[in-house]
Amino acid sequence: MNKEAFNPFRMAQTQFDHVADILELNEPTRDLLRNPMREYHFNIPIRMDDGTSKVFRGFRVQHNDARGPCKGVIRFHPQETIDTVRALSMWMTWKCAVVDIPLGGGKGGVICDPHNLSAREQEQICRGWVRQLARVVGPLADVPAPDVMTSAQHMLWMLDEYEHIYGNKFPGFITGKPVGMGGSLGRTEATGFGVVYTLREALKQLNIKPEDMLASVQGFGNVAQYAIRLYSQLGGTVICVSCWDQNDQTSYSFKKKDGIDLDALLKITDRFGGIDKDKAKDMGYEILPGDAWIEQEVDILIPAALENQITVETAQKMSPRVKVIAEGANGPTTPEADKIIAERNIFLIPDFLANAGGVTCSYFEQVQSNMNYYWEKDEVLGKLDVKMTSAFLAVSDMARKRKLYMRDAAYVISVARVAQACSDRGWV
Amino acid sequence: MTKKKKFMDRLYQDLQERSKELNCIYQIEEILSNRNDESIEDIFAKIANVIPYGFQYTEECESKITFEGQVFKSSEFEETEWSHSEDIIAKNTVVGTVTVYYLKDFEKLDFGPFLKEEVRLIQSTADRLGHFIIHQRLKTVIEKLESTGTGAASSGDGQWRVILDLLRQTDSNLYLSVSRKILNFLCWSGIQEAEKLIQTFSPEETTYDEGDPETWNQPLRRSAHDYPVDFSSAAFAVASKYLTDNEILRMLHKWIQEDRLSFLVQVVNRNLSLSEVADAIRRYYDLVADDPGASSSNKRGIQVSLIRRFLSDQLAYINVAKNFIGIRDFYHLLQNVIFSSESHGKLGGKSAGMYLAAQILKKRSRENSLLRDVKTPKTWFISSDVLLHFMTYNDFEEVVEQKYKEINQVRLEYPHVVQTFKRARFPSDIIQGLSVALDDFGERPLIVRSSSLLEDRMGAAFSGKYKSLFLANQGSKKQRLEALLDGIAEVYASTFSPDPIEYRAERGLIDFGEEMGIMIQEVVGKRVGKYFLPAYAGVAFSRNEFRWSPRIRREDGLVRIVPGLGTRAVDRLSDDYPVLITPGQPGLRVNVDPDEIIRYSPKKIDVIDLESNSFKSIDIDEFLKEFGYEMPAINNIISVFHDGQISKPMAMSVDFENDQLVANFEGLINNTQFVKKMELILKTLEETLNTPVDIEFASDGQDFYLLQCRPQSYSGESRPAPIPKDIPENRIVFTANRYISNGRVPDITHIVYVDPEKYVLLSERNEILAVGQAVGKLNKLLPKRQFILMGPGRWGSRGDIKLGVSVTYSEINNTAVLIEIARKKGNYVPDLSFGTHFFQDLVEAGIRYLPLYPDDKGTVFNEHFLKSAKNILPEVLPEFEKLSDTIRLIDIPQSTDGQILQVLMNADLEEAVGILAPPSSQYESPVVRIEGADHHRDDFWNWRTKMIECLASTFDLDRFGVAGLYLIGSTKNATAGPASDIDLLVHFQGTPEQLQQLKYYLEGCSICLSEINYLRTGYRTKGLLDVHIVTDSDLEKKTSFAAKIGAVTDAARPLKLKSQLPSPED
Repeated sequence: MNKEAFNPFRMAQTQFDHVADILELNEPTRDLLRNPMREYHFNIPIRMDDGTSKVFRGFRVQHNDARGPCKGVIRFHPQETIDTVRALSMWMTWKCAVVDIPLGGGKGGVICDPHNLSAREQEQICRGWVRQLARVVGPLADVPAPDVMTSAQHMLWMLDEYEHIYGNKFPGFITGKPVGMGGSLGRTEATGFGVVYTLREALKQLNIKPEDMLASVQGFGNVAQYAIRLYSQLGGTVICVSCWDQNDQTSYSFKKKDGIDLDALLKITDRFGGIDKDKAKDMGYEILPGDAWIEQEVDILIPAALENQITVETAQKMSPRVKVIAEGANGPTTPEADKIIAERNIFLIPDFLANAGGVTCSYFEQVQSNMNYYWEKDEVLGKLDVKMTSAFLAVSDMARKRKLYMRDAAYVISVARVAQACSDRGWV
Repeated sequence: MTKKKKFMDRLYQDLQERSKELNCIYQIEEILSNRNDESIEDIFAKIANVIPYGFQYTEECESKITFEGQVFKSSEFEETEWSHSEDIIAKNTVVGTVTVYYLKDFEKLDFGPFLKEEVRLIQSTADRLGHFIIHQRLKTVIEKLESTGTGAASSGDGQWRVILDLLRQTDSNLYLSVSRKILNFLCWSGIQEAEKLIQTFSPEETTYDEGDPETWNQPLRRSAHDYPVDFSSAAFAVASKYLTDNEILRMLHKWIQEDRLSFLVQVVNRNLSLSEVADAIRRYYDLVADDPGASSSNKRGIQVSLIRRFLSDQLAYINVAKNFIGIRDFYHLLQNVIFSSESHGKLGGKSAGMYLAAQILKKRSRENSLLRDVKTPKTWFISSDVLLHFMTYNDFEEVVEQKYKEINQVRLEYPHVVQTFKRARFPSDIIQGLSVALDDFGERPLIVRSSSLLEDRMGAAFSGKYKSLFLANQGSKKQRLEALLDGIAEVYASTFSPDPIEYRAERGLIDFGEEMGIMIQEVVGKRVGKYFLPAYAGVAFSRNEFRWSPRIRREDGLVRIVPGLGTRAVDRLSDDYPVLITPGQPGLRVNVDPDEIIRYSPKKIDVIDLESNSFKSIDIDEFLKEFGYEMPAINNIISVFHDGQISKPMAMSVDFENDQLVANFEGLINNTQFVKKMELILKTLEETLNTPVDIEFASDGQDFYLLQCRPQSYSGESRPAPIPKDIPENRIVFTANRYISNGRVPDITHIVYVDPEKYVLLSERNEILAVGQAVGKLNKLLPKRQFILMGPGRWGSRGDIKLGVSVTYSEINNTAVLIEIARKKGNYVPDLSFGTHFFQDLVEAGIRYLPLYPDDKGTVFNEHFLKSAKNILPEVLPEFEKLSDTIRLIDIPQSTDGQILQVLMNADLEEAVGILAPPSSQYESPVVRIEGADHHRDDFWNWRTKMIECLASTFDLDRFGVAGLYLIGSTKNATAGPASDIDLLVHFQGTPEQLQQLKYYLEGCSICLSEINYLRTGYRTKGLLDVHIVTDSDLEKKTSFAAKIGAVTDAARPLKLKSQLPSPED
């Protein structure tokens, strides 16, 4: 009964150790990469609306900046534990490396519950955070972005404070800004399109044409919608999508044998990706239980909603026809299910490669901000395609040559790139 | 049809006549009230010219007024034989006449050629002129008095003689009255001469003689009152001997003032009809043109009588109202009251509440300018007994008997009652009143609301039982009037609808008379496209019972606000959300993340469609796309969602066709005085009325309107629960004393307890997630609203799932209470979530939230019970057995010899307690019996059990291939409510065809049962049977429902079947 409590940082370290073993990294490199380079913990005193004072705890963890400035989200959370933050900052380092963008990994936040704070108080916290860290963050040092309970608004407050302190304009200090305020076009599409760019390359390698392939998608949010759009443009057919029904408090799958009509479905979909069940029925869709998406007679599965969806149990239900799984969501597959997928020889595009379109676009936002010149959407998406494609090719190359499972190959590549940078700099 | 048309034509013609008459009266009033320095002669001449306009044949009509020997004629006056004449009477003497002549001979009507209404017009004109004359005379007296009043002391004696002389000439009654008073005064002061004077003028009077035994038992004879006039001069002669001039003058002054009120005292203290009282008040208004302000006890008495008479006889109400509603206010109020001639009714609770609140705010606005622009919509009232009048008029007496019938019969007959009421005729005086009201409203949409006397008596608990109807009020006057009558009839009929009757029966109020006032209010708003709607509307409470942050105090209040009509804010809707604001701390919003803000913002908007004359709920996005540009105050209502950011719109910058809009009222909260004003209104009303209040409000985009005000209601189970004292410690499961809301949750049979210490020790992420999944499964399996969830920290945590069990709303939506436990860690206590992750869902579903701080001093947390009671999780969900260290599922009756858990919460005391008690809630505070405790509860499950046993006993097992029937859920557990379904478990072994047949058969049964249940309870359900089919293989695998058969807890109960019936064991 002496088992230790769940610790995400310990988990991330174990995962890293596994890859480090494969790469035969030396001890100093392991020491360097097992722990963050720097951590900042500080107080943010705030004058509350009622005139009283309150002190909030802020922090920023910079895991590694060998390949470039740190990049990572900033969240407001009532009880953030430092180990969760360390784990996520490490994960960010690998994610930037796998798509080969010149950024490192970071992560930060403030311990607070915005539900207990007025907008003015939140603004004070944002500005206080920047005041404490102004010397160690910046467009060339560490670039924050929005996350849980933080939004574009918080980013603009932070940017404004930063520019106040330095007396100049530095739109590249932060990402997640609205278009017109230093934001990038194409961000809405980026993640979903990214999934399909990698999927397209996978099919090429498997030597099959998208036109012959049927796909089933879990989720109908932003990622899923753009993935379906691009996949259809490639000639592919999606015959099933599942989504959450707010009224019934359950999920349903919507199936149409000759392929769903994305634009028609979007007309009966709410802002949260919920499809109107009755109208869909009228349009000839078959309404199935929420988990039916995985049992469909298809070649491609795109889980693009929640984590832990492909489990030992559900993996059994996959049709023998399934050839490719492209992970649009974060962590949709459990480690046990990974084994089944590997055994069945299904081609897997792991989450942190498949959905890296988002972080890549953030990088583009930063680049555009730094030069204060903004690209048209086509240009953003074109560059995204190039990045994603070459990232995919590198990973699949590694998997083939070294006979690695795709997920492992992706990790190996990114850790190797970071380790190389540390070594080149003469750190280890 | 033609008959109806004829009837309508006549009605219309009648109405036209009535409106002419009224017009005439208005004109006369105008002349009288707009007189500047015109002489009586000029005024009378003008009036003589106006009178003919009130008559059917205006062209051929002339009039004449005589007054004190003078004659005033209309322009083309000619004396004829076809005339009617009424006397002008001032203070009981005839001082003149009003006569109307027709120049031609017209057909004979009620009085010669005149209608009875026309004769009444002549009468009332004469009356009015009489009052006017009195007023004029008194004015002269008072002017005189006032001019002498100040200078009297210096200018020497004799001034009072002038006044007295004037009085003798103009008002002999008053003259006598003051004489009598001065004489009495002199007697009391012990002036012998005065007593002698009394003796002289009443020789027959016998003084009380102790020696005469016969007088002992009989009343003394009254002294004669009819003093001759010279008695007066004698009295004042005596007075002048003993009193100074100044003293006499002062007394005269006072008595003359008092006289102005005397008639009003007489009227309100006698049980006269409304019209007589109204008349008296109008006289008062005319006479006392400028309120003297000096508050006499006299005046106070009248005020209280009037309040009791028209508004409410509740002492608490009168106590406040007498400080805010003056006699003159009744003058204005009564101008908008419609009543029949013999009416004695009141306005009803809703009207009284609103009127008082409006008066309070009006008075308080002198101190605070924020209140100055609070308005109330134009409102007309129908007095409460008009309903009875209406019923008598239509011979509907037998409808009253409805309430003594069986409730299912009432329900069956109700549609018929509604139709009967709608076909009925209204008395003509009411139609006349409504017609005037409609002219006043114009083509503004209206709302017809009930204003019941029971509501007044019972407080808010009774509100909402009767109907309120929206009327578009468009079209010709005739159409509008018909629609209005129709609406009123329907609201009247709702007195006999089953719900209020049942409610009254339960509370012993069935014999209370069915008087119901009606409030006809113009709908606040503007025309937008083809729709009519307010910019926004809602309800506000001075006490916040739903706090989403520990920083919010109860007294910070709560506003539920929506765009459009307030109906969506008043009711709780399961699929839509109003915006919540706490006026004390407007910065603390329920939803802060853009995603949350969008998810929990209003999706629909209620409007009145002026084209189809109907009330509609329409999609807000579509509405704004089409009409956003026309919508008033739109920039205060919506924000624009763009690229992850929700921002207040700049004026002119919104593109309604393409922008994503969110109605979150940011502009209203941040850029206007709305919140401050709301806070002030709630505070003012709560302080003045001495009770927490709730109000309804609306705004047309420019002005703020108060629509209703009443004591804050605690509907059903949300009233503060009495907390029993001296409960033995071993029966307490937990107590709490921070952030408590009100309520009482009886009959909890299961506790799902996630052990906080064990939860933090879970080492695998998947194990942590599994806790959430297990809770989700239990949520589906356990009896709805009969279990509580207790767990560490923040339920629904999304980021760091160690902080609390990771669940979505759908995984907890059947719980009765959500409890968060904050255990001390080292030296700090973690923050709780207050349910923020799904706060608005909890509010709309009525799920309670309770935070526990077990390490606080003075709280009890019975960890021993929670940890030692048998954990049945492994038996119920074998697949989660490995979590049974962390999740404990306790079957309370099983663990406590049949007791159940009750959670009692009292926000006033900031106390809550969970106690073990015998079932069906008899363990309550010894002093207070909670009103509305469900003594009907037994009925619901009993009936269901009976019906299902009947179904089972006739069920053809072979035909459908069924092996057994079982009962589970609320009916089995004897906790079924009026809307509960009957959970039937069918063990099926037949063919697919038989399965289809079985389903059809049971569906039929289900619909029948549902209909019967509707007649009994008024709850509409889609079907009453919830059938769960289990097969042999299910039984083998023990899947969820199959597991119930022979289960350890909450086991399914087998039903006796046809073939088993004659079984000897039974």
